[in-house]
Amino acid sequence: MNMERTVSTLRVAGLRKSFQRPAVDGLDLRVGQGEFYALLGPNGAGKTTTLRMVAGLMQPDAGEISIFGIDALAEPIAAKRITAWVSDEPMIYDKLSPTEYLAFIAGLWGMDAAAAEKKAEALLEWLELKPHAHERCEDFSKGMRQKVALAGALVHEPKLIILDEPLTGLDARAARLVKDALLARVRQGCTVIMTTHILEVAERMAERIGVISRGRLIAEGTLEELRKQSGSSNTSLEDVFLTLVAEQEPAQ
Amino acid sequence: MTEAASWLWLARHEGRLAWRDLRYLMTGGGRWRGRNVIIVFVLLGIGLHLVALGVVAPHADMTLAAGTRGFTSITGSVLLIFFLLLSQALEQVTRLFYGRGDLDLFRSSPAPLRRLFVIRVLSIGVSTTVMALVVALPAINVLVLLGGLHWFTALAVAVAGAAATSGIALVLASVLFDTLGPRRTRFAAQVASAIVGSAFVIGVQAVAILSIGTLSPRAFFDSDLVLSHMPPADSALWIPARAILGSGWDLAITVIGAAAVLVVPMILLSDRLGGYAIATASVHQGGRRAWSARLFHTVSSRQLLQRKEWILLVRDPWLASQTLMQLLYLIPAALLLWRFYGDSRGALIVLAPVLTMAAGQLGGGLSWLAVSGEDAPDLIASAPISPMRNLSAKVEAVLIAVFAIFTPFLIGILTHSWVMALVVSVSIVIAAFSSTLIQIWFRSQARRRYFRRRQTSSRIATFAEAFSSVAWASAAALAANESWYAVAPAVVAMLVLAGTWSIRPR
Repeated sequence: MNMERTVSTLRVAGLRKSFQRPAVDGLDLRVGQGEFYALLGPNGAGKTTTLRMVAGLMQPDAGEISIFGIDALAEPIAAKRITAWVSDEPMIYDKLSPTEYLAFIAGLWGMDAAAAEKKAEALLEWLELKPHAHERCEDFSKGMRQKVALAGALVHEPKLIILDEPLTGLDARAARLVKDALLARVRQGCTVIMTTHILEVAERMAERIGVISRGRLIAEGTLEELRKQSGSSNTSLEDVFLTLVAEQEPAQ
Repeated sequence: MTEAASWLWLARHEGRLAWRDLRYLMTGGGRWRGRNVIIVFVLLGIGLHLVALGVVAPHADMTLAAGTRGFTSITGSVLLIFFLLLSQALEQVTRLFYGRGDLDLFRSSPAPLRRLFVIRVLSIGVSTTVMALVVALPAINVLVLLGGLHWFTALAVAVAGAAATSGIALVLASVLFDTLGPRRTRFAAQVASAIVGSAFVIGVQAVAILSIGTLSPRAFFDSDLVLSHMPPADSALWIPARAILGSGWDLAITVIGAAAVLVVPMILLSDRLGGYAIATASVHQGGRRAWSARLFHTVSSRQLLQRKEWILLVRDPWLASQTLMQLLYLIPAALLLWRFYGDSRGALIVLAPVLTMAAGQLGGGLSWLAVSGEDAPDLIASAPISPMRNLSAKVEAVLIAVFAIFTPFLIGILTHSWVMALVVSVSIVIAAFSSTLIQIWFRSQARRRYFRRRQTSSRIATFAEAFSSVAWASAAALAANESWYAVAPAVVAMLVLAGTWSIRPR
């Protein structure tokens, strides 16, 4: 259904990347504007490599990446201006406070300082970081660090948010806050593409799910569509996922 | 059931870890190639023996009859090495408490923590001994070869001295813990270690400059001024010196005394060592406040990245001290500048290579932090800034910091000779820039806290940085002397850079 959306936020075509063996092998992907897309796959399937190439952190061997019509490989700076990246390992500076960190990011993305300050305050309030806004991050828990990283991704108001396992190591309350924050952004028209091993999160949050195995997209669609593709009805995403991935495994 | 973690079992475990650390140190994490390591060892051994030949050969015929003059010279050299070893031992003991590693595993096991720490302090004693032997053995070999077998007793003195430094380091670390607490001890021990390691040589140089106008400790120890203040030859102060010259009685006192200095603190303090480690595990920085967000407002991305680098450095005293401690060695240079202020420019020429060398080393350390030690590489890479702009901002941040640190020296030289100030300014920038280039070519992403291990991650970068700094320092010395021969070491420095660039990882 979402493929009907007129504007394609992210278009990936024939993406390839090899290390010792192919990590991403001719991947095609389309994500519409305002869509929450979950990319699932077993360990080593190529999810992180795909997202890192989309975020401009890694150069593909071949293929095309287009973000809001911008050729991300030819014009990486323009593409990065509207993109945010959050990894499972929070990228923050221990010696900066959350307020300073957000001011730094706002500067990197060339935001107006006054607007960035207001935005940062609101985000810190929303993510329950306000009491720690001026403390250095060095003693923060994993959950707090991940919330600071997420605030950093949101402060410059990206149109596309790319998240790699953002809920790893978060407690239930922090995970709920992060999920709520992402869904709110999607409601505002932002596009989110996320990898996760927590299938329940993908099932509940994502409008469409892509399953990747051995660097290739093996199935894609809503949960209903995936059930049809796997030939199993009324089953959980976990069962669907395991069936789809098992079909790709070589015969033992 | 067998005993949990017996002494022997623990010793073997620690030995295995130490051996793997040593292998890592020798191979930089690469594949173990026994033949290459042996070749490097043989070459290093030959080099050290040649250096020792030049330094100690004139003293090979010294005997117990050398008297106060000979004893002063030997004791001065021994103290120089002793304080360097003490500095290393203090740092290792501190790391014992702060390095988390496998400590939580041991704490959760039925193994007695006290036993683990006794073994680890002993292993520090062993590694300090190895270090002492690396320094002393070539000199002892040369002395035995040229002077006779009685010099072999120096070997026992070296081992005794190393053992004593471990015991003293343990006591010092314990005193720091008890007085400053676990939160401040790491930084205090770091500073203490640097001061202990450099205080003696810097102190001797400083007194030498102020009293007899030379940087040479040897000339200082041989001076009538020093000798007139020394006790007679039968004084207890000369026990280690007499032991080195073959006196059996003095050797026994030295060895027994050193063993006591190691064993007694170990017995008395071993119960508390586990407590220190537990205390460091619960260190909380206490939510230190930071209010510099405005520094990031309304500036260009270049200034933004530079300010970030400077703020991170200033806010990490441990890291800043690691980088800046080498500047302690500039104190004699500053004294020399002050001493000869207004005198002939000849004496000041010695400053040019000293400052250039220091700038090269400082530039290397700071650029590692800025380039390889970026704690959020993905954040910077995903930001809308070109990689070249990011890199150039970091290089500028390093060069500005280096230049700012050396500015007081340059102002001092400028008031004396603008030509020399110009020469030194240019050589400082070139040396720091060369080290920065090497760090860029050999960058390998790492956490900032692994700053101390940067030299093991690339041997080539470490040696290239040292060679380039030495070559630029030589060029600066000759240029300050207004000699066209300065071109030769400058060409060597550029060849070093070209060679390093050609073998950089791609």
